[in-house]
Amino acid sequence: MANYISMDNLRFVVHEMLHAEKLCSFPRYQDYDKESFDILMDSTKDYADKVMYPSFKEMDEDPARYDDGKIYVHPVVGEVMKYAGENGSIGALFDYDLGGMQLPHLIHSALAHIAQCANNSLPGYTGLTAGAAGLIASFGEKALIDKYVPNMLSGKWGGTMCLTEPQAGSSLSDITTSASPSGDGSYQIKGQKIFISGGDHEYCDNFVHLVLARIDGAPAGTRGISLFVVPKHRIAGDGLESNDVITAGDFQKMGQKGYCTTHLVFGENDNCQGWLVGTEHRGLKYMFQMMNGARIDVGLTAASIATAAYHASLQYAQERPQGRRILSGGVKNVDAEQTTIIKHPDVRRMLLLQRAITEGSVSLLMQASLYHDLSQAGPEEDRERYHDLLELLTPIAKTYPSEMGQISISNGLQILGGYGFCTDFPLEQYYRDIRITALYEGTTGIQSLDLLGRKVVMKNGEAMKHLTKEIIDTIQAAENYDELKPYAAQLKNASKELQDTIMHLLKFAMSGEHERFIADATIFMDFMSTVVHAWQWLKMATVAKTALVTDNKTFDAAFYENKIHTMRFYFKYELPKISSCKTTLLNDETLTIPEEHQSVLA
Amino acid sequence: MKLLVCVSKTPDTTTKVSFTDGDTAFDTQGVQYIMNPYDEWYALVRALELKESAGGTVTIINVGTADNDAIIRKGLAIGADDAIRVDAAGGSAYFVAKQIAEQAKAGSYDMVFFGKETIDYNGSQIGAMVSEMLDMPFISYATKMDMAGNTATIARDIEGGQEIVEVDTPFVLSAAKGLAEQRIPNMRGIMQAKRKPLNVVPAVAVDEKASIVSYALPPAKSDCRYVDAENMDELVALLHGEAKVI
Ligand SMILES: Cc1cc2nc3c(=O)[nH]c(=O)nc-3n(C[C@H](O)[C@H](O)[C@H](O)COP(=O)(O)OP(=O)(O)OC[C@H]3O[C@@H](n4cnc5c(N)ncnc54)[C@H](O)[C@@H]3O)c2cc1C
Repeated sequence: MANYISMDNLRFVVHEMLHAEKLCSFPRYQDYDKESFDILMDSTKDYADKVMYPSFKEMDEDPARYDDGKIYVHPVVGEVMKYAGENGSIGALFDYDLGGMQLPHLIHSALAHIAQCANNSLPGYTGLTAGAAGLIASFGEKALIDKYVPNMLSGKWGGTMCLTEPQAGSSLSDITTSASPSGDGSYQIKGQKIFISGGDHEYCDNFVHLVLARIDGAPAGTRGISLFVVPKHRIAGDGLESNDVITAGDFQKMGQKGYCTTHLVFGENDNCQGWLVGTEHRGLKYMFQMMNGARIDVGLTAASIATAAYHASLQYAQERPQGRRILSGGVKNVDAEQTTIIKHPDVRRMLLLQRAITEGSVSLLMQASLYHDLSQAGPEEDRERYHDLLELLTPIAKTYPSEMGQISISNGLQILGGYGFCTDFPLEQYYRDIRITALYEGTTGIQSLDLLGRKVVMKNGEAMKHLTKEIIDTIQAAENYDELKPYAAQLKNASKELQDTIMHLLKFAMSGEHERFIADATIFMDFMSTVVHAWQWLKMATVAKTALVTDNKTFDAAFYENKIHTMRFYFKYELPKISSCKTTLLNDETLTIPEEHQSVLA
Repeated sequence: MKLLVCVSKTPDTTTKVSFTDGDTAFDTQGVQYIMNPYDEWYALVRALELKESAGGTVTIINVGTADNDAIIRKGLAIGADDAIRVDAAGGSAYFVAKQIAEQAKAGSYDMVFFGKETIDYNGSQIGAMVSEMLDMPFISYATKMDMAGNTATIARDIEGGQEIVEVDTPFVLSAAKGLAEQRIPNMRGIMQAKRKPLNVVPAVAVDEKASIVSYALPPAKSDCRYVDAENMDELVALLHGEAKVI
């Protein structure tokens, strides 16, 4: 079987860098230890090898489809729902008293990474079910929880998130799906939702849709949106009856073809009942509280697809003979056998770029997941700080892998030459599959607005201060080693340039020029995420260096040396890009803000 | 029924093998370990199936240091009820067999399961030695096993065919591919495993009867040779003359 992940890299990040076992000292996680984390990771890899990876290509070749009111998906979806339900993995993050496993987010993310590397069309089915059940469990009344959550955690019923409507994608304030009180505590739901992932298929008895809708007379905008549980089949006595939720189609897509994307119509026959979750008009707020986890999941999908692509191109480069190395004096020995392409510097550059992007992404995603745990179960006095760090880093952890992952895979595809373009090799599929990650759960544009317009300035810049402190800690640790000092200095400088640029942009916000403040938010995202990943790389390199110096090694010496080498690659080839971002952001010409009578994009 | 399953720790199949101490010891630096697949996938799972259909207990046993607790925990996560670890830094096949036989005798098990071999040293010795020490019949390389009361009907692959053996408990068996199907431990099992008993017992003294003189790696594989798809004669000549496989 092809290699699609480095388990050693994952173990390095989880154990040696983030010390996952320390989480077990908190009451919430006290039933776990390092061994149980390892067995979980190994078992997930075994399952991914046995069940998930073998259907990766099949799901692409035989996509989800709609026929006569029904959605058909690959049978492995049924197998995975059943397994994840019985296994306990749908409820992995839930409290014990809800039938959950109280697994740390860090380990949950590590397991998701393994599964997503193996087959990125599959984990969404269980992940969304868990997300929807999580909303009910967090904000719903007990009766609602008892009715829906157990069947969702057991995998019998699927769950979805229904936000998007034809006229309301990025702008959820324009949602029009309506909810009219029926008088018996329920609401009549009417409206359409599009692009609903995992919205229907034959392998679940029921689907529990978490629907954003507007109660009659609700205020306009986001403040008038409420959250409802709207099952496909409502509970009637001991059985189920139709709840007037019609599946109107399945969107045919360029990638993630095995993951159905449905069009749902609610209340076409005025017989669709929904039940309010929590209180009226707080729906979007509830959704946003679950958003960090969901966005990190999308970042993980992207990082994992790019990871699998890296391993595929690495293997190809190790095997493909082509051309000869240039000998000193610029000559080639044409009588010698061809070299494998991995010996060509340009191919190595592309492979190292893939490695730098993917391992950097995985590292930040695990770091963010750890902050998630610490913000919920860590020492009381530190929770807010970790929460702020998570809030600040989430848009980056989602966007960097989904944008840079595309570049990474494109380079991987390039390594295969013409074969990269052909369906005989998986690179073209990875290239298509990853594209969605920069779109759903908030586009890159929206994430960037969130980062600059909300997170950087939140609590008067408090979260930024926490992040700067984390970066400084890493710089100081790196400065203990002569080999790492130049890179520590480079990061210190980059961090300062980031601060200077933020100060420059803030002037616009303070003078009321808000559109100008956020006009180039995506360039800012590029800038800041490049610095943040430099921080992660320096952190990894310092851990590696410490292992080498203290001879406290879990892996062989080459593993740690290669980590340091890849960090150096990142600092030479990637980090300098911030100069270009900074130049653009400091240039006060306004070329993209629309002005009246301007014809440039007419 | 009381079932004992012997499990050992082997390097992951992707490990790059090298030797130290003048080629008398395997270099363990940077090596990731797994449970020997024949023990895990076939011996342990078949024992669990028997317990599930006929009742009883499954105990796993390992001879090794605390480093081995991770693979023991995995066995408990898959479904074994308890475990014994004989606390010893390893030793020859004879040493390990002696330890297992001691524990097996004390526990009066109905069946003692082994994998057909470990995937590192491929010795296939311990099962046979233990059966001798326990004075029980030994059925090796079992690919299928049915129980009726106390009688087992066991199929074993032999050169060019199959042999069917009938044997009454107690007996010792070594498991080959086909005896069962790999079970992946689930989350709940992994959590429960931490609470299942793992009894660590001291090793008994053994007079070693053999020692390792040296190890050597097989000769390195030569580079890939490309032969023109049209040139069958060259291919045949190479396979015959150089590779000597036809
Ligand atoms: C495969 C797939 C699965 C999906 N799954 C789900 C799901 O399960 N549940 C669900 O509810 N939705 C789902 N979606 C919907 C997805 O979240 C939306 O497509 C996404 O939020 C963008 O909305 P849109 O498509 O309407 O694009 P638009 O909002 O029209 O955006 C178009 C472009 O304009 C930019 N833009 C929009 N507004 C602004 C602004 N204010 N400032 C700057 N730029 C802006 C965007 O960045 C984008 O580049 C899914 C979509 C797809 C394709």
